[in-house]
Amino acid sequence: MSAAGDLALGVRLSVAGGRSGWLRLTLIAAGVGFGVAMLLLMAAAPTASTNRQQRLADRAMGVTAERAGPGTLLALTTQTRFRDEAVRGRILRPEGDRAPVPPGVDRVPAAGEMVVSPALAALINGPGGAVLGDRWSARVVGVIGPRGLSGPDEVYFYVGSGTLTRDDGAARITSFGGGAAPVTDPAIVVLVVIGSVIMVLPVLVFVTTAVRFGSESRERQLAAVRLVGADAAMTRRIAAGDTLIGAVLGLGAGGLGFLGLRRVVGGLLPVDFSPYPSDLRPVPILLLLIVVLVPVGAVLVTLAALRRVVIEPLGVVRQSGARRRRIWWRLIPPAVGAALLYPLLDDPAGSEAQLAAGVVLLLIGVVVLLPWLVQAVVRGLGGGSVAWQLGIRRLQLDSDTAVRSVSGIAVSVAGIIAIQGILAASVAANNGVQPPDDRFQAVVYTNGADGTGWEAALVGTPGVRQVRTSGYAELRQDGDDQAGVTVRVGDCDTLRQYAPLPSCTDGDSFAGTMSGWYQTTVLPPGASVGVYGTDEKKPLSRWEVAAGLPVVEQYTSDAGPVAFLATPSALGIRGGLPVDAYLLRLDPADPDAIEHVRNTMIRLDPAAPLQLFGDDRVGNQFAGARQVAQACAVLLLLFIGASMLVNVTEQLRERRRLLAVLAAFGTPRRTLSAAVLYQVAVPATVGLLLSVIVGSSLSAVLLAATHGPVDLDWPVIAGITAAVAAMVVAVTAGSLPLLFRLLRTQELRSE
Amino acid sequence: MSPPLLAAEDLSKSFGVTRALNGASLRVSPGEVLALTGPSGSGKSTLLHCLSGILAPDSGRVRYDGRELTTLTDRERSALRRREFGFVFQFGQLVPELTCQENVELPLRLSGVRRAGARGPAAELLARLGVSEVAGKRPGQVSGGQGQRVAVARALVTGPRVIFADEPTGALDSRNGEQVMGLLVAAARERGSAVVLVTHETRIAAFADREAVFRDGAAVERQGAR
Repeated sequence: MSAAGDLALGVRLSVAGGRSGWLRLTLIAAGVGFGVAMLLLMAAAPTASTNRQQRLADRAMGVTAERAGPGTLLALTTQTRFRDEAVRGRILRPEGDRAPVPPGVDRVPAAGEMVVSPALAALINGPGGAVLGDRWSARVVGVIGPRGLSGPDEVYFYVGSGTLTRDDGAARITSFGGGAAPVTDPAIVVLVVIGSVIMVLPVLVFVTTAVRFGSESRERQLAAVRLVGADAAMTRRIAAGDTLIGAVLGLGAGGLGFLGLRRVVGGLLPVDFSPYPSDLRPVPILLLLIVVLVPVGAVLVTLAALRRVVIEPLGVVRQSGARRRRIWWRLIPPAVGAALLYPLLDDPAGSEAQLAAGVVLLLIGVVVLLPWLVQAVVRGLGGGSVAWQLGIRRLQLDSDTAVRSVSGIAVSVAGIIAIQGILAASVAANNGVQPPDDRFQAVVYTNGADGTGWEAALVGTPGVRQVRTSGYAELRQDGDDQAGVTVRVGDCDTLRQYAPLPSCTDGDSFAGTMSGWYQTTVLPPGASVGVYGTDEKKPLSRWEVAAGLPVVEQYTSDAGPVAFLATPSALGIRGGLPVDAYLLRLDPADPDAIEHVRNTMIRLDPAAPLQLFGDDRVGNQFAGARQVAQACAVLLLLFIGASMLVNVTEQLRERRRLLAVLAAFGTPRRTLSAAVLYQVAVPATVGLLLSVIVGSSLSAVLLAATHGPVDLDWPVIAGITAAVAAMVVAVTAGSLPLLFRLLRTQELRSE
Repeated sequence: MSPPLLAAEDLSKSFGVTRALNGASLRVSPGEVLALTGPSGSGKSTLLHCLSGILAPDSGRVRYDGRELTTLTDRERSALRRREFGFVFQFGQLVPELTCQENVELPLRLSGVRRAGARGPAAELLARLGVSEVAGKRPGQVSGGQGQRVAVARALVTGPRVIFADEPTGALDSRNGEQVMGLLVAAARERGSAVVLVTHETRIAAFADREAVFRDGAAVERQGAR
């Protein structure tokens, strides 16, 4: 028979295997399909990101004009918040009848009108949304279409104005878009590369596991084919055909699964990442790779598995005795990875590609080193109870199957530890000293605007209990010195809103720092400087920096640190200091107090920054990313656990007769259960140790490369260790029903 | 007539619609070698499994040394099999990960004997059965005949009062089969163990003191085998 004929026979055998054959084929197709759906989603991520960035670029302000004309539009970008949601948008005022229209809307909203994204409409129409609807004093007249939004969940608006001027900070434009899509932060690229590797490898491991579902029954089938005259090469081709049909069906199932998943995946991601379903189109080259490599890889996995099995006409013989693995070539990827990463410890600038390549090679190193390491470790183990002996000896004889699943754990955990380390350091860098509970809750900055009437408006806002003002000045050595050093000015109670002060009386001053910020401009003790307010020519006073000023760490703030904090009398100021900040104490009984303040500020100055203390956005973003990483870790472990369970149950089925014999001569169930536990736990522990070492090293390198403090996230490592331990126990527990079923004696029957 | 060590009374057992045992009764005396013979599907192996407490019959009783096996829990029957019974199966079914020596030690270790204590008896039996040279090898590295002798050693190592052998020579050629059978019966007699042997080969049944021929799930004829 020709090679094609052999393949076709394999396909026929696969689909003609009766109910059990179809069940096996369904399992393979479902397993491969699940993996393929995941791979397609990952392959679609770059397109989704590009489309999103392109839409953001298309709605960016385009060409600006100096003079008003029929084709000009005044536009002011503004941002507010509603509860935990960032609400972004633009205030628009057309200056002529040919003013550019932003993408996603039919016309520029007139004064008193606004168009909103579906997500914002849902917020306004949702519970408690009325207070948000009042913010702009505008009527919602339409919905922004997908072309004008970064994603389906973006909270965005355009509001028409009849009074907006350039003095409000608005830009005069003649078009939207036209610029290039923004370049992604290289640090994000590194995170994405690591994330992709740690997501793809377990999926590939799962796919290679799935194509081996029911391999024992296939081998029996092949033995029967041998009996009627097939030679060994024909047998391999028949097996390839059998696998091929499962993989191809899996590809189809995966494609359908992907089409279904892309409708729901947006809802599972944070707002800033959620794509439209139509954004999720796999990159053509990646799609081609998946379509070609999944079936080819499946066939290769099957053929590799058959290398250790001799299929004879009268049955199947498994080759026993583990071949000794060589280490030399396994050291190449991690060594090259380390060589690429090492120079970055000293000079990380402009080396993202090198960093990403080093990280990927190091993670691949985990995959290739693990089989050698597991074999070396189990070779040295011995003694112990019967259960330990049975489990360890099994691994000594064949650790391949266990290692296949565990390599998924190892690379994922290493990557997760690395990512978590970076994120933890970022969170730590953004968490400084913690403010007291009785701190004012919010602050509004004038940001250079004239704040006349603001204090009264804020005092009259529902939910505001107290308003306190604070001043701001620049310290310059002379009038032309533009590199001003900032000083926050206020009485002791006001200054305590910015930093914990050891003690403070009128006339005191302090040097300030802030966690996560570098103070680039400092004045030495004894320096004599002018204190400048709004008048850049005439200082309010002169001040000599005292020696031994107490250094205080300011509470973390998006506004960043000031170099000094001082009471007015310390600086010798007697009035005339411009107020730039209004500190607000809110009514804790009114949950919408801050929303009322936001409404007030939209009326006073939509561009004025309003910061909610305790709403440390940068830190929150990283904390959110950490939560996403932790959720991914749990998902990955579930994935890996499923692979391990499949492998363990396959092994148990292969050993059904032996298990029945062990049961016959009275082996307690707990002994066999413990043996299964050891078979799962020992490779998992070795994999975990390797991944903690590699992941921590990687984390240290990445932190050093980003100038972060090198500090390993032990709680995360402990958490992942506990999760892996729980997974090992769960896999063992999941395999016990089958184990107990196989201990029945039907397997003993020899007739 | 001495009281039987093991007795089955009116056993019935079905698997789905297939009736494997149909009122089978049998007695095994201490130290006796009993062959259960008969055509395929006649219920020999099922009876052996019921006698050894591996299977519970649908009806009827199995008594061992005065105890009713069918009233014992699974745990109690497992403990009984560990302590009092030995097993040999057609393909030996040695644990492939363990060496032959460790396979023979296994029943002792399951009974709580420490490894050092199990080593001597296991080595002694391997020598007695002429397979000392394979002690350190894994089952996959020895011949079928050697493997089956190791399985016999494993069945004998705890000094069982009854050895159950289900087609113990079925996978061996006639010369090897007879050698293994001879060793099994001789070693059992030395230790005073009874042997319940399932076989369809007349020359193997000839090693028994007595033969029970099975047909349609019941022993229909008894005769002296030797």
